[in-house]
Amino acid sequence: MTVALAGRTPATFEIKSANLPLVALLLKSSDLQLLEQELQGRFGDAPDFFDNDPLVIDLAPAGEGEIDFGTLVRLLKRHRVMPVAVKGGTPGQMEAAVQAGLACAQDAALNPTFHPGGLSQREREEAREEQPHVPPVVQAPPVHSCALVIDKPLRSGQQVYARGRDVVVLAMVNAGAEVIADGHIHVYAPLRGKAIAGARGNAQARILTLCLEPELVSIAGVYRTSEHPLPDTLRGKPAQVRLEGEKLVMLPLNP
Amino acid sequence: MARIIVVTSGKGGVGKTTTSASFASGLALRGHRTAVIDFDVGLRNLDLIMGCERRVVYDFVNVIHGEATLNQALIKDKHNDNLSVLAASQTRDKEALTKEGVEKVLHDLGGMGFEYIVCDSPAGIETGALMAMHFADEALVVTNPEVSSVRDSDRILGMLASKTKRAIEGKEPIKEHLLITRYNPNRVDAGHMLSLEDIQDILRIPLIGVIPESESVLQASNQGSPAVHLKGTDVSEAYLDVVSRFVGEDRPLRFVDPEKAGFLKRLFGRKG
Repeated sequence: MTVALAGRTPATFEIKSANLPLVALLLKSSDLQLLEQELQGRFGDAPDFFDNDPLVIDLAPAGEGEIDFGTLVRLLKRHRVMPVAVKGGTPGQMEAAVQAGLACAQDAALNPTFHPGGLSQREREEAREEQPHVPPVVQAPPVHSCALVIDKPLRSGQQVYARGRDVVVLAMVNAGAEVIADGHIHVYAPLRGKAIAGARGNAQARILTLCLEPELVSIAGVYRTSEHPLPDTLRGKPAQVRLEGEKLVMLPLNP
Repeated sequence: MARIIVVTSGKGGVGKTTTSASFASGLALRGHRTAVIDFDVGLRNLDLIMGCERRVVYDFVNVIHGEATLNQALIKDKHNDNLSVLAASQTRDKEALTKEGVEKVLHDLGGMGFEYIVCDSPAGIETGALMAMHFADEALVVTNPEVSSVRDSDRILGMLASKTKRAIEGKEPIKEHLLITRYNPNRVDAGHMLSLEDIQDILRIPLIGVIPESESVLQASNQGSPAVHLKGTDVSEAYLDVVSRFVGEDRPLRFVDPEKAGFLKRLFGRKG
């Protein structure tokens, strides 16, 4: 949707409206030290969990305390998220956030429904006309990103997360290791650890491996552990795992 | 510059210190100037295995804190002049080790003309183990033929490939060697132990040797003399093979096939 500007069209730029998939941080305290500790505890072991994802900070649950936005932004960037906006804060907090270079998204909704409240009247109308079915803001993964390729063994204690895409693992995934992807998981070697495909609910995701002997396989939250041994036709063989309804289906791969 | 080798495993009691002592002694026997450092601060053992516990005056932590010089703390081995031991402190904990301190000691040892520095890692995956592996060029991963030990070795291999200096700086990765200890071919045959092939299939790093399970190891450690010095025993021979392979010689694997039951044994059945 191009916004028509008066006169000729400039050669160097074009203004378009765009939607950005965002992650939201619901800030529940203004104690940044505590936040740092808890972030470290939750994501310290998985420094690649975020991939410089844009983020909106929801201040509503944080109370009315003063927040040092400079420190908060640095802290979040260390965890590889890019704070771009705040919402739901007190006027004082919002003002401080603007001073720190963040945008105010006072009325932006964090749920999938699109509320063009922050736009100008004219843009709002255009948005309504031309984009009646805006994709869900939060859950939309980048569509054309290429699969994450891992070419070293994943050993006990190691974890890989392919955010919003597939993962291709060219070496073994040992017991105690975890491969997680929002899309498919391909393992061209023995899969002995945990494989979690469709981690954000994609029921179409599959797990494919040349040697199926996992501790756990899961697709869109439906899982099976090694407590129930696989039949001899599948165990240690090339196989795929997919979801049919609420049931995991495992089939041998017969090229 | 000295070559730094870490002897590590994740799991405790698999034979790291026994291996460090015998491997370092073996290198010294071949004429290489070698230092062996006990990183197990707070639970020091290496000095006992090396039989030099009565000569420990200053230790590794004293050197790191500048309370003693390296020359004061290094203890010459009683068997071989090429070998020196740097004992751990019994009264401190692992937090006494700092990256800068460890790096300086390793660097100074290189400057003193040591060709090999063997770092005896503590068990676990905490500070002590991380410090022992951080500056390593090569790693001997000591593994027993049982599932938990293999799992822990796998964890350690993952850390060698991600948390060490070479990994962080994106240099050539640490050269990994698998050393299987306490191997008993008869029990493998009976299905009580993981086989060589099982272990290699899981860990997939080159095998540098197999040390057979043996009474002589206990005997050696109680006498305060590394097992490699028990001439003629399987354990000593196996460790000498490991050292030979480490310096690039080709040696066939020994002590990996089950003993053939002799005529009398076959007649009267096996004991135990």
